[in-house]
Order: sequence, then C-alpha cells, then structure tokens
Amino acid sequence: KTDNIPLLGLYFKFSDIVQLQFIAKSQTASAEVLVNMENPYREPQKGCVLCDVTVDFKNIQLLSQFISPHTGRIYGRHITGLCGRKQKEVSKAIKKAQSMGFMSVTHKNPQFMKDPNVCGIKHLD
Amino acid sequence: MPRYELALILKQMQRPETAAVLRRTVETLMERGALVRDLENLGERQLPYRMTKHNQRHSRGTYFLVDFYAAPSMLAGLLDHLHRDVDVVRPTVLKKDAQSSIWTSLSFLEDVSPLI
Repeated sequence: KTDNIPLLGLYFKFSDIVQLQFIAKSQTASAEVLVNMENPYREPQKGCVLCDVTVDFKNIQLLSQFISPHTGRIYGRHITGLCGRKQKEVSKAIKKAQSMGFMSVTHKNPQFMKDPNVCGIKHLD
Repeated sequence: MPRYELALILKQMQRPETAAVLRRTVETLMERGALVRDLENLGERQLPYRMTKHNQRHSRGTYFLVDFYAAPSMLAGLLDHLHRDVDVVRPTVLKKDAQSSIWTSLSFLEDVSPLI
C-alpha cells in the first residue's frame, strides 16, 4: 500500500510511473538510439563432447570412454554430459558392438584404461 | 540396391587358410548376386569374450569387414550359409548408414545395377 502514489486522484504503482517516464523520454529521442540488432554479448552455443564426431560400433576406444572400467556398465546422461541424440547413438553403438563381438560386456579393455576421462565421474582408485 | 556391411570374425588360422575362407566367402556373395565393394582387415586380436562355435571355444580371432550391395531377399540365405561355415566364428550383417559412410564421394554408385 505504501507503493501506491496518489496522482491526479488515481493511484499508480511506483514502477508504472518510472515506465511512463521512460516511454516519454524514448519517444522524444532520435531513432539512432534504438537499433534492432542481435545480442552482442551472445555466446556461441556449447555442444556436447561428441557434437562433430561420428559414432561407430567399430570405434571401441571411443565407446569405452563411456562405460565403467569396473563393471562395463554404460554411464547415464547425467554422468556423460552428452546431448540426447549422441547419448542414444553411443548407447546403441555399445550394445551393437557387444553383441557382434567387438567389445566386452563385463569389463573395459585394459588397453583403454589410461584414456582421458570424458565423463564427469571420479573413481576412488 | 541397399548397402550392407558384413562384420566377419574368423577362427585363428594360418594366412593361406584365412585367405581361402575369405575367397570362398566373397565367391558366395557374388554367386548370390551381391556386388562386393570393399574388404577391410581389422587385424587379429583377442576376442572380448570367449565364443563357442562348432563345438570349439575361441579366444582369439581375425576381424574382417565386407561392404557390399545386395538384394534384401538373399540375406537370410547368406547368413544361414555363414553360420554353417566351420571357420567362421561370428558373422553379422548390418545395413550401412549413409551418414557414417567415409566414401561420400562415391555415392553415385547407389543406382548402379550389379554386373552379372
């Protein structure tokens, strides 16, 4: 109730009065001030790690980065940080490689144990 | 004709025997009216898990990849034939995606009929 300011017998909110003043000022200013342009502070859209990478069932080294080294389980989206499409592709490729005899189901190939950690998971090794 | 990929896992054998198996596999493909496009050797390595086939337990094998064009009707017969081959541990036929193809410049071959 303290916000309402009596003016000409009508009660306006303080924010309304500020807006009215701003509109009045802008109409009197020249057209150069207001320019239609895209946000100059806009940052480029960040993609996931595999945005430009084709996922293949033959590339087991890449696929092994998204499985657990202890159990061979496929990590979820909240751990890998991949977008919906790539997570599905990786998951499907891993299952395909496992059934075709390219990749192990229960463990991670020891050759790939030293690969950089792409997933946001820290093992207590 | 649609493109297929045959991921072949062969038993651990000597080089001339492996060559003989590959030869008869490709000949089978051509007999059934397929157009073989590419044959890649992915090397001999330890299998991710021990596979049992034809009463034999395999722990090492040679991986091959055969790209070919074929009619969909002949795939069932082809897979049946490959399963019966004693030297083949695991045959898998997949459809080849256009996006994952490396040879994008050769896409004009899509509408070429096979040479009889």
